[in-house]
Amino acid sequence: MRDKLRKWREDNCRNSEQIVDVGEELISEHASKLGDDIWIIYEQVMIAALDCSRDDLALTCLQELRKQFPDSHRVKRLTGMRLEALERYDDANKHYDAILQEDPTNTAVRKRKISILRAQGKSTEAIRELNEYLEQFVGDQEAWHELSELYINEHDYGKAAFCLEELMMTNPHNHLYCEQYAEVKYTQGGMENLELARKYFAQALRLNNRNMRALFGLYMSASHIAASPKVSAKVKKDNIKYAAWAAAQINRAYKLAGRGNKDNKCSIKAVEEMLESMQITMS
Amino acid sequence: MPIQLTSQAYCKMLLHAAKYPHCAVNGLLVAEKTKEKKKDGHSGPVLCVDCVPLFHGTLALAPMLEVALTLIDTWCKENNYTIVGYYQANEQTQDSRPNQVAQKVAARISENFSEAVIVMVDSSRLTMSCFEPIVFIYDHLENKWKNREVTTDAFEDWNEAQKITSALLVGRSYENLIDFDNHLDDLRNDWTNPAINKSVLDLC
Repeated sequence: MRDKLRKWREDNCRNSEQIVDVGEELISEHASKLGDDIWIIYEQVMIAALDCSRDDLALTCLQELRKQFPDSHRVKRLTGMRLEALERYDDANKHYDAILQEDPTNTAVRKRKISILRAQGKSTEAIRELNEYLEQFVGDQEAWHELSELYINEHDYGKAAFCLEELMMTNPHNHLYCEQYAEVKYTQGGMENLELARKYFAQALRLNNRNMRALFGLYMSASHIAASPKVSAKVKKDNIKYAAWAAAQINRAYKLAGRGNKDNKCSIKAVEEMLESMQITMS
Repeated sequence: MPIQLTSQAYCKMLLHAAKYPHCAVNGLLVAEKTKEKKKDGHSGPVLCVDCVPLFHGTLALAPMLEVALTLIDTWCKENNYTIVGYYQANEQTQDSRPNQVAQKVAARISENFSEAVIVMVDSSRLTMSCFEPIVFIYDHLENKWKNREVTTDAFEDWNEAQKITSALLVGRSYENLIDFDNHLDDLRNDWTNPAINKSVLDLC
Protein backbone atom coordinates (compact mmCIF):
# COMPACT_ATOMS: atom_id res chain seq x y z
CA MET A 1 0.00 0.00 0.00
CA ARG A 2 2.86 2.35 0.83
CA ASP A 3 4.33 1.60 -2.57
CA LYS A 4 1.09 2.50 -4.30
CA LEU A 5 1.00 5.82 -2.48
CA ARG A 6 4.62 6.46 -3.31
CA LYS A 7 4.07 5.73 -6.99
CA TRP A 8 1.07 8.08 -7.06
CA ARG A 9 3.18 10.77 -5.36
CA GLU A 10 5.98 10.40 -7.85
CA ASP A 11 3.66 10.42 -10.85
CA ASN A 12 1.67 13.32 -9.46
CA CYS A 13 -1.61 11.49 -10.10
CA ARG A 14 -4.84 13.13 -9.10
CA ASN A 15 -6.69 9.91 -8.26
CA SER A 16 -7.94 11.37 -5.01
CA GLU A 17 -10.65 8.83 -4.21
CA GLN A 18 -8.16 5.98 -4.44
CA ILE A 19 -5.58 7.83 -2.35
CA VAL A 20 -8.20 8.48 0.32
CA ASP A 21 -9.27 4.82 0.35
CA VAL A 22 -5.74 3.45 0.62
CA GLY A 23 -4.37 6.25 2.79
CA GLU A 24 -7.17 6.24 5.32
CA GLU A 25 -6.74 2.54 5.94
CA LEU A 26 -2.97 2.85 6.12
CA ILE A 27 -3.13 5.68 8.63
CA SER A 28 -5.75 4.22 10.91
CA GLU A 29 -4.43 0.69 11.04
CA HIS A 30 -0.75 0.72 10.25
CA ALA A 31 0.47 4.07 11.48
CA SER A 32 3.09 2.61 13.78
CA LYS A 33 4.81 0.71 10.98
CA LEU A 34 5.24 3.69 8.70
CA GLY A 35 8.10 5.42 10.47
CA ASP A 36 8.97 8.81 9.08
CA ASP A 37 7.05 8.16 5.91
CA ILE A 38 3.90 8.90 7.82
CA TRP A 39 4.30 12.67 7.56
CA ILE A 40 4.49 12.75 3.79
CA ILE A 41 1.59 10.33 3.67
CA TYR A 42 -0.44 12.61 5.92
CA GLU A 43 0.24 15.45 3.48
CA GLN A 44 -0.70 13.36 0.45
CA VAL A 45 -3.86 12.01 2.04
CA MET A 46 -4.86 15.42 3.31
CA ILE A 47 -4.74 16.96 -0.15
CA ALA A 48 -6.66 14.01 -1.60
CA ALA A 49 -9.23 14.32 1.17
CA LEU A 50 -9.75 17.98 0.31
CA ASP A 51 -10.37 16.91 -3.28
CA CYS A 52 -13.05 14.48 -2.12
CA SER A 53 -14.70 16.89 0.29
CA ARG A 54 -13.61 14.75 3.24
CA ASP A 55 -12.94 17.63 5.59
CA ASP A 56 -12.98 15.28 8.58
CA LEU A 57 -10.05 13.28 7.26
CA ALA A 58 -8.25 16.40 6.04
CA LEU A 59 -8.50 18.02 9.45
CA THR A 60 -7.18 14.90 11.19
CA CYS A 61 -4.14 14.80 8.92
CA LEU A 62 -3.59 18.53 9.25
CA GLN A 63 -3.71 18.42 13.04
CA GLU A 64 -1.15 15.62 13.17
CA LEU A 65 1.14 17.59 10.89
CA ARG A 66 0.68 20.77 12.93
CA LYS A 67 1.58 18.95 16.13
CA GLN A 68 4.74 17.56 14.57
CA PHE A 69 5.85 20.62 12.59
CA PRO A 70 4.40 23.62 14.44
CA ASP A 71 6.16 26.45 12.60
CA SER A 72 6.46 24.91 9.19
CA HIS A 73 5.49 27.02 6.20
CA ARG A 74 4.79 23.85 4.31
CA VAL A 75 2.15 22.89 6.85
CA LYS A 76 0.79 26.44 6.90
CA ARG A 77 0.33 26.15 3.16
CA LEU A 78 -1.79 23.07 3.77
CA THR A 79 -3.92 25.06 6.20
CA GLY A 80 -4.43 27.57 3.41
CA MET A 81 -5.41 24.82 1.00
CA ARG A 82 -8.04 23.63 3.41
CA LEU A 83 -9.49 27.14 3.52
CA GLU A 84 -9.49 27.13 -0.28
CA ALA A 85 -11.35 23.82 -0.32
CA LEU A 86 -13.96 25.34 1.98
CA GLU A 87 -14.16 28.23 -0.51
CA ARG A 88 -13.06 30.69 2.18
CA TYR A 89 -10.89 32.44 -0.37
CA ASP A 90 -10.48 35.72 1.53
CA ASP A 91 -9.27 33.88 4.63
CA ALA A 92 -6.97 31.75 2.51
CA ASN A 93 -5.49 34.83 0.85
CA LYS A 94 -4.88 36.53 4.21
CA HIS A 95 -3.22 33.35 5.43
CA TYR A 96 -0.97 33.16 2.38
CA ASP A 97 -0.09 36.84 2.58
CA ALA A 98 1.07 36.30 6.16
CA ILE A 99 3.39 33.50 5.02
CA LEU A 100 4.72 35.65 2.19
CA GLN A 101 5.46 38.45 4.66
CA GLU A 102 7.79 36.11 6.49
CA ASP A 103 9.15 34.46 3.36
CA PRO A 104 8.67 36.42 0.13
CA THR A 105 10.39 33.73 -1.96
CA ASN A 106 7.89 31.01 -1.10
CA THR A 107 6.91 29.98 -4.62
CA ALA A 108 4.42 27.31 -3.56
CA VAL A 109 2.35 29.87 -1.70
CA ARG A 110 2.48 32.37 -4.57
CA LYS A 111 1.16 29.66 -6.84
CA ARG A 112 -1.66 28.89 -4.41
CA LYS A 113 -2.74 32.52 -4.66
CA ILE A 114 -2.84 32.17 -8.43
CA SER A 115 -4.87 28.97 -8.08
CA ILE A 116 -7.40 30.88 -6.02
CA LEU A 117 -7.82 33.34 -8.89
CA ARG A 118 -8.34 30.44 -11.26
CA ALA A 119 -10.86 28.80 -8.94
CA GLN A 120 -12.80 32.05 -8.78
CA GLY A 121 -12.91 32.20 -12.56
CA LYS A 122 -10.73 35.32 -12.68
CA SER A 123 -8.70 34.15 -15.67
CA THR A 124 -7.36 37.56 -16.68
CA GLU A 125 -5.96 38.25 -13.22
CA ALA A 126 -4.60 34.72 -12.95
CA ILE A 127 -2.82 35.16 -16.28
CA ARG A 128 -1.40 38.51 -15.21
CA GLU A 129 -0.16 37.20 -11.84
CA LEU A 130 1.30 34.09 -13.44
CA ASN A 131 3.17 36.20 -16.00
CA GLU A 132 4.63 38.32 -13.19
CA TYR A 133 5.58 35.18 -11.30
CA LEU A 134 7.32 33.73 -14.35
CA GLU A 135 9.38 36.90 -14.88
CA GLN A 136 10.97 36.11 -11.53
CA PHE A 137 10.94 32.32 -11.62
CA VAL A 138 11.63 31.66 -15.26
CA GLY A 139 12.49 28.00 -14.77
CA ASP A 140 9.23 26.89 -13.20
CA GLN A 141 7.91 24.39 -15.73
CA GLU A 142 4.70 23.65 -13.90
CA ALA A 143 3.91 27.34 -14.07
CA TRP A 144 4.65 27.61 -17.80
CA HIS A 145 2.34 24.68 -18.40
CA GLU A 146 -0.41 26.16 -16.27
CA LEU A 147 -0.07 29.43 -18.18
CA SER A 148 -0.32 27.65 -21.53
CA GLU A 149 -3.55 26.01 -20.33
CA LEU A 150 -4.98 29.35 -19.23
CA TYR A 151 -4.15 30.90 -22.60
CA ILE A 152 -5.69 27.97 -24.49
CA ASN A 153 -8.90 28.32 -22.48
CA GLU A 154 -8.97 32.00 -23.46
CA HIS A 155 -8.35 31.00 -27.09
CA ASP A 156 -5.11 33.03 -27.10
CA TYR A 157 -3.23 30.39 -29.06
CA GLY A 158 -0.28 32.59 -29.95
CA LYS A 159 0.66 33.12 -26.32
CA ALA A 160 -0.06 29.49 -25.46
CA ALA A 161 2.39 28.51 -28.20
CA PHE A 162 5.01 30.79 -26.64
CA CYS A 163 4.65 29.03 -23.28
CA LEU A 164 4.97 25.63 -24.90
CA GLU A 165 8.06 26.84 -26.79
CA GLU A 166 9.67 27.65 -23.43
CA LEU A 167 8.84 24.15 -22.25
CA MET A 168 10.18 22.52 -25.41
CA MET A 169 13.45 24.46 -25.10
CA THR A 170 14.07 23.19 -21.60
CA ASN A 171 12.70 19.70 -22.27
CA PRO A 172 13.70 18.83 -25.82
CA HIS A 173 13.02 15.13 -25.29
CA ASN A 174 9.49 15.51 -23.99
CA HIS A 175 7.17 14.26 -26.72
CA LEU A 176 4.07 15.57 -24.93
CA TYR A 177 5.12 19.22 -25.12
CA CYS A 178 5.98 18.79 -28.80
CA GLU A 179 2.63 17.25 -29.51
CA GLN A 180 0.69 19.89 -27.55
CA TYR A 181 2.60 22.65 -29.35
CA ALA A 182 1.63 21.06 -32.66
CA GLU A 183 -2.03 20.95 -31.58
CA VAL A 184 -1.95 24.65 -30.71
CA LYS A 185 -0.38 25.53 -34.06
CA TYR A 186 -2.95 23.42 -35.89
CA THR A 187 -5.76 25.15 -34.02
CA GLN A 188 -4.34 28.56 -34.93
CA GLY A 189 -4.79 27.58 -38.56
CA GLY A 190 -3.36 28.90 -41.78
CA MET A 191 -0.92 27.18 -44.09
CA GLU A 192 2.25 28.15 -42.22
CA ASN A 193 0.89 26.96 -38.91
CA LEU A 194 -0.36 23.72 -40.44
CA GLU A 195 3.08 22.97 -41.82
CA LEU A 196 4.65 23.78 -38.47
CA ALA A 197 2.07 21.57 -36.78
CA ARG A 198 2.90 18.72 -39.10
CA LYS A 199 6.61 19.09 -38.39
CA TYR A 200 6.11 19.08 -34.64
CA PHE A 201 3.73 16.11 -34.75
CA ALA A 202 6.48 14.33 -36.68
CA GLN A 203 9.03 15.38 -34.07
CA ALA A 204 6.80 14.08 -31.27
CA LEU A 205 6.59 10.77 -33.11
CA ARG A 206 10.35 10.62 -33.44
CA LEU A 207 10.56 11.02 -29.67
CA ASN A 208 7.81 8.47 -29.02
CA ASN A 209 6.51 6.43 -31.90
CA ARG A 210 3.51 5.26 -29.94
CA ASN A 211 2.01 8.71 -29.37
CA MET A 212 -1.38 8.25 -31.05
CA ARG A 213 -2.26 11.92 -30.86
CA ALA A 214 0.92 12.77 -32.76
CA LEU A 215 0.13 10.12 -35.35
CA PHE A 216 -3.42 11.34 -35.87
CA GLY A 217 -2.18 14.92 -35.85
CA LEU A 218 0.40 14.17 -38.52
CA TYR A 219 -2.30 12.53 -40.62
CA MET A 220 -4.75 15.42 -40.22
CA SER A 221 -2.25 18.19 -40.89
CA ALA A 222 -0.71 16.46 -43.92
CA SER A 223 -4.19 15.73 -45.30
CA HIS A 224 -5.32 19.32 -44.91
CA ILE A 225 -2.18 20.65 -46.57
CA ALA A 226 -2.54 18.20 -49.45
CA ALA A 227 -6.20 19.07 -49.89
CA SER A 228 -5.55 22.81 -50.05
CA PRO A 229 -5.84 24.36 -53.51
CA LYS A 230 -3.08 26.86 -52.73
CA VAL A 231 -0.12 24.49 -52.52
CA SER A 232 2.31 23.54 -55.24
CA ALA A 233 2.15 20.12 -56.82
CA LYS A 234 5.32 19.01 -55.06
CA VAL A 235 4.07 20.03 -51.61
CA LYS A 236 0.80 18.26 -52.36
CA LYS A 237 2.59 15.10 -53.43
CA ASP A 238 4.85 15.13 -50.35
CA ASN A 239 1.98 15.60 -47.98
CA ILE A 240 -0.08 12.87 -49.60
CA LYS A 241 2.91 10.61 -48.94
CA TYR A 242 3.13 11.68 -45.29
CA ALA A 243 -0.59 11.22 -44.81
CA ALA A 244 -0.52 7.81 -46.43
CA TRP A 245 2.34 6.75 -44.15
CA ALA A 246 0.48 8.02 -41.10
CA ALA A 247 -2.71 6.25 -42.18
CA ALA A 248 -0.84 2.97 -42.53
CA GLN A 249 0.68 3.41 -39.06
CA ILE A 250 -2.71 4.22 -37.59
CA ASN A 251 -4.28 1.13 -39.13
CA ARG A 252 -1.42 -0.95 -37.86
CA ALA A 253 -1.73 0.44 -34.35
CA TYR A 254 -5.46 -0.32 -34.30
CA LYS A 255 -4.93 -3.85 -35.57
CA LEU A 256 -2.35 -4.44 -32.88
CA ALA A 257 -4.68 -3.13 -30.22
CA GLY A 258 -7.63 -5.07 -31.56
CA ARG A 259 -5.89 -8.42 -31.33
CA GLY A 260 -7.55 -10.57 -28.76
CA ASN A 261 -10.45 -8.23 -28.33
CA LYS A 262 -13.31 -8.91 -30.67
CA ASP A 263 -15.44 -6.02 -29.50
CA ASN A 264 -12.96 -3.49 -30.69
CA LYS A 265 -13.59 -4.39 -34.29
CA CYS A 266 -15.97 -1.47 -34.63
CA SER A 267 -13.12 0.90 -33.91
CA ILE A 268 -10.81 -0.68 -36.46
CA LYS A 269 -13.44 -0.62 -39.16
CA ALA A 270 -14.43 2.95 -38.32
CA VAL A 271 -10.81 4.09 -38.54
CA GLU A 272 -10.25 2.37 -41.87
CA GLU A 273 -13.38 3.94 -43.29
CA MET A 274 -12.49 7.35 -41.94
CA LEU A 275 -9.05 7.19 -43.49
CA GLU A 276 -10.51 6.03 -46.79
CA SER A 277 -13.12 8.75 -46.87
CA MET A 278 -10.47 11.41 -46.26
CA GLN A 279 -8.34 9.96 -49.06
CA ILE A 280 -11.16 10.74 -51.46
CA THR A 281 -11.31 14.39 -50.45
CA MET A 282 -7.54 14.70 -50.83
CA SER A 283 -7.27 13.56 -54.41
CA MET B 1 -37.71 20.08 -32.04
CA PRO B 2 -37.73 18.60 -28.56
CA ILE B 3 -35.13 16.02 -27.74
CA GLN B 4 -35.44 13.32 -25.17
CA LEU B 5 -32.64 11.67 -23.29
CA THR B 6 -32.57 7.97 -22.53
CA SER B 7 -31.24 6.74 -19.23
CA GLN B 8 -28.08 5.52 -20.91
CA ALA B 9 -27.29 8.89 -22.50
CA TYR B 10 -28.03 10.84 -19.31
CA CYS B 11 -26.12 8.64 -16.93
CA LYS B 12 -23.02 8.40 -19.10
CA MET B 13 -22.87 12.20 -19.30
CA LEU B 14 -23.02 12.48 -15.53
CA LEU B 15 -20.53 9.67 -15.01
CA HIS B 16 -18.12 11.51 -17.30
CA ALA B 17 -18.52 14.71 -15.28
CA ALA B 18 -18.14 12.77 -12.03
CA LYS B 19 -14.97 11.04 -13.19
CA TYR B 20 -13.19 14.35 -13.75
CA PRO B 21 -14.64 16.75 -11.19
CA HIS B 22 -11.71 19.14 -11.55
CA CYS B 23 -11.89 19.37 -15.36
CA ALA B 24 -14.20 20.49 -18.07
CA VAL B 25 -15.58 17.50 -19.97
CA ASN B 26 -17.44 17.20 -23.24
CA GLY B 27 -18.98 14.66 -25.56
CA LEU B 28 -21.44 13.98 -28.33
CA LEU B 29 -25.06 12.90 -28.22
CA VAL B 30 -26.32 10.41 -30.78
CA ALA B 31 -29.76 9.32 -31.84
CA GLU B 32 -31.07 6.60 -34.08
CA LYS B 33 -31.53 7.66 -37.67
CA THR B 34 -35.22 7.91 -38.35
CA LYS B 35 -36.95 7.66 -41.67
CA GLU B 36 -38.38 10.74 -43.34
CA LYS B 37 -40.48 13.10 -41.28
CA LYS B 38 -44.18 12.48 -41.49
CA LYS B 39 -46.05 14.66 -43.90
CA ASP B 40 -47.68 16.79 -41.24
CA GLY B 41 -44.28 18.01 -40.12
CA HIS B 42 -44.73 16.79 -36.55
CA SER B 43 -42.57 13.78 -35.93
CA GLY B 44 -41.98 12.61 -32.41
CA PRO B 45 -39.17 14.01 -30.28
CA VAL B 46 -35.65 13.02 -31.22
CA LEU B 47 -34.52 10.31 -28.83
CA CYS B 48 -30.86 10.59 -27.79
CA VAL B 49 -30.12 6.95 -27.16
CA ASP B 50 -26.48 7.29 -26.28
CA CYS B 51 -23.61 9.66 -25.77
CA VAL B 52 -19.91 9.39 -26.55
CA PRO B 53 -17.67 11.02 -23.94
CA LEU B 54 -14.90 12.90 -25.73
CA PHE B 55 -12.36 14.89 -23.73
CA HIS B 56 -11.51 16.16 -20.30
CA GLY B 57 -9.30 19.08 -19.35
CA THR B 58 -8.39 21.25 -22.31
CA LEU B 59 -11.32 21.27 -24.71
CA ALA B 60 -10.25 24.10 -26.97
CA LEU B 61 -7.78 22.33 -29.26
CA ALA B 62 -8.87 21.38 -32.77
CA PRO B 63 -6.97 18.37 -34.12
CA MET B 64 -8.18 15.62 -31.77
CA LEU B 65 -11.67 17.07 -31.84
CA GLU B 66 -11.69 16.75 -35.64
CA VAL B 67 -10.43 13.19 -35.42
CA ALA B 68 -13.11 12.33 -32.89
CA LEU B 69 -15.91 13.93 -34.90
CA THR B 70 -14.88 12.14 -38.09
CA LEU B 71 -14.33 8.80 -36.41
CA ILE B 72 -17.57 8.91 -34.46
CA ASP B 73 -19.43 10.03 -37.55
CA THR B 74 -18.16 6.92 -39.35
CA TRP B 75 -19.13 4.75 -36.40
CA CYS B 76 -22.58 6.31 -36.40
CA LYS B 77 -23.10 5.45 -40.04
CA GLU B 78 -22.26 1.81 -39.30
CA ASN B 79 -24.80 1.72 -36.50
CA ASN B 80 -27.52 3.79 -38.08
CA TYR B 81 -27.03 6.66 -35.65
CA THR B 82 -26.74 10.39 -36.24
CA ILE B 83 -24.87 12.90 -34.11
CA VAL B 84 -27.61 15.19 -32.83
CA GLY B 85 -26.04 17.14 -30.04
CA TYR B 86 -23.10 18.07 -27.89
CA TYR B 87 -22.73 18.08 -24.12
CA GLN B 88 -20.29 19.91 -21.91
CA ALA B 89 -19.65 20.40 -18.22
CA ASN B 90 -17.51 23.47 -17.49
CA GLU B 91 -14.49 23.55 -15.22
CA GLN B 92 -16.11 26.33 -13.20
CA THR B 93 -19.14 24.82 -11.52
CA GLN B 94 -20.83 28.17 -11.12
CA ASP B 95 -20.86 28.77 -14.85
CA SER B 96 -23.00 26.51 -16.98
CA ARG B 97 -23.38 28.56 -20.13
CA PRO B 98 -22.21 27.19 -23.48
CA ASN B 99 -18.89 28.79 -24.38
CA GLN B 100 -17.13 29.30 -27.69
CA VAL B 101 -16.03 25.67 -27.97
CA ALA B 102 -19.55 24.41 -27.36
CA GLN B 103 -21.01 26.76 -29.94
CA LYS B 104 -18.40 25.90 -32.54
CA VAL B 105 -18.87 22.15 -32.19
CA ALA B 106 -22.63 22.51 -32.18
CA ALA B 107 -22.44 24.61 -35.35
CA ARG B 108 -20.43 21.81 -36.97
CA ILE B 109 -23.01 19.26 -35.89
CA SER B 110 -25.79 21.48 -37.23
CA GLU B 111 -24.31 21.13 -40.72
CA ASN B 112 -25.51 17.55 -40.67
CA PHE B 113 -28.46 17.78 -38.33
CA SER B 114 -30.30 21.05 -38.41
CA GLU B 115 -31.80 20.86 -34.93
CA ALA B 116 -28.62 20.10 -33.04
CA VAL B 117 -28.74 20.88 -29.34
CA ILE B 118 -26.23 21.79 -26.68
CA VAL B 119 -26.69 20.12 -23.33
CA MET B 120 -24.83 21.77 -20.47
CA VAL B 121 -24.37 19.75 -17.31
CA ASP B 122 -24.75 21.77 -14.14
CA SER B 123 -21.98 20.27 -12.04
CA SER B 124 -22.86 22.41 -9.05
CA ARG B 125 -25.97 20.29 -8.55
CA LEU B 126 -24.33 16.93 -9.12
CA THR B 127 -25.21 14.67 -6.19
CA MET B 128 -25.26 10.94 -5.57
CA SER B 129 -29.02 10.84 -5.39
CA CYS B 130 -29.68 12.80 -8.60
CA PHE B 131 -33.09 13.77 -7.34
CA GLU B 132 -33.53 16.38 -10.05
CA PRO B 133 -32.35 16.66 -13.66
CA ILE B 134 -29.20 18.77 -13.76
CA VAL B 135 -28.94 19.60 -17.42
CA PHE B 136 -29.70 22.73 -19.39
CA ILE B 137 -30.77 22.22 -22.98
CA TYR B 138 -30.00 24.92 -25.52
CA ASP B 139 -31.60 25.20 -28.95
CA HIS B 140 -30.36 27.39 -31.77
CA LEU B 141 -33.12 29.90 -32.43
CA GLU B 142 -32.81 33.21 -34.30
CA ASN B 143 -29.04 32.86 -34.44
CA LYS B 144 -28.66 32.52 -30.70
CA TRP B 145 -28.45 29.62 -28.32
CA LYS B 146 -31.50 29.77 -26.09
CA ASN B 147 -32.07 27.91 -22.88
CA ARG B 148 -35.13 25.69 -22.82
CA GLU B 149 -36.97 24.77 -19.65
CA VAL B 150 -36.05 21.22 -18.71
CA THR B 151 -38.79 19.10 -17.24
CA THR B 152 -39.04 15.37 -16.84
CA ASP B 153 -40.50 15.38 -20.38
CA ALA B 154 -36.93 15.80 -21.62
CA PHE B 155 -36.35 12.21 -20.55
CA GLU B 156 -37.65 9.01 -22.02
CA ASP B 157 -38.22 7.82 -18.45
CA TRP B 158 -37.01 10.17 -15.72
CA ASN B 159 -37.58 7.78 -12.84
CA GLU B 160 -35.54 5.10 -14.52
CA ALA B 161 -32.82 7.57 -15.48
CA GLN B 162 -32.64 8.89 -11.93
CA LYS B 163 -32.51 5.42 -10.40
CA ILE B 164 -29.83 4.11 -12.75
CA THR B 165 -27.63 7.21 -12.62
CA SER B 166 -27.74 7.29 -8.85
CA ALA B 167 -26.90 3.58 -8.59
CA LEU B 168 -23.94 3.91 -10.95
CA LEU B 169 -22.60 7.01 -9.19
CA VAL B 170 -22.78 5.33 -5.80
CA GLY B 171 -21.13 2.23 -7.24
CA ARG B 172 -18.32 4.46 -8.63
CA SER B 173 -18.84 3.13 -12.17
CA TYR B 174 -17.34 6.35 -13.44
CA GLU B 175 -13.90 4.93 -12.66
CA ASN B 176 -14.41 2.63 -15.64
CA LEU B 177 -15.90 5.18 -18.01
CA ILE B 178 -13.78 5.57 -21.13
CA ASP B 179 -13.67 8.82 -23.05
CA PHE B 180 -11.91 9.56 -26.33
CA ASP B 181 -8.91 10.96 -24.43
CA ASN B 182 -8.53 7.62 -22.63
CA HIS B 183 -8.80 5.88 -26.00
CA LEU B 184 -5.98 8.01 -27.45
CA ASP B 185 -3.84 7.13 -24.41
CA ASP B 186 -4.43 3.42 -25.02
CA LEU B 187 -6.25 2.22 -28.11
CA ARG B 188 -7.61 -0.79 -26.28
CA ASN B 189 -9.86 1.50 -24.24
CA ASP B 190 -13.26 1.35 -25.90
CA TRP B 191 -15.10 4.69 -26.06
CA THR B 192 -18.39 2.95 -26.77
CA ASN B 193 -18.29 1.80 -23.12
CA PRO B 194 -19.87 -1.64 -23.58
CA ALA B 195 -19.40 -2.56 -19.94
CA ILE B 196 -21.24 0.50 -18.67
CA ASN B 197 -23.95 0.07 -21.30
CA LYS B 198 -24.45 -3.43 -19.99
CA SER B 199 -24.69 -2.18 -16.40
CA VAL B 200 -27.35 0.27 -17.49
CA LEU B 201 -29.29 -2.46 -19.25
CA ASP B 202 -29.03 -4.71 -16.22
CA LEU B 203 -30.51 -2.02 -14.02
CA CYS B 204 -33.41 -1.22 -16.31
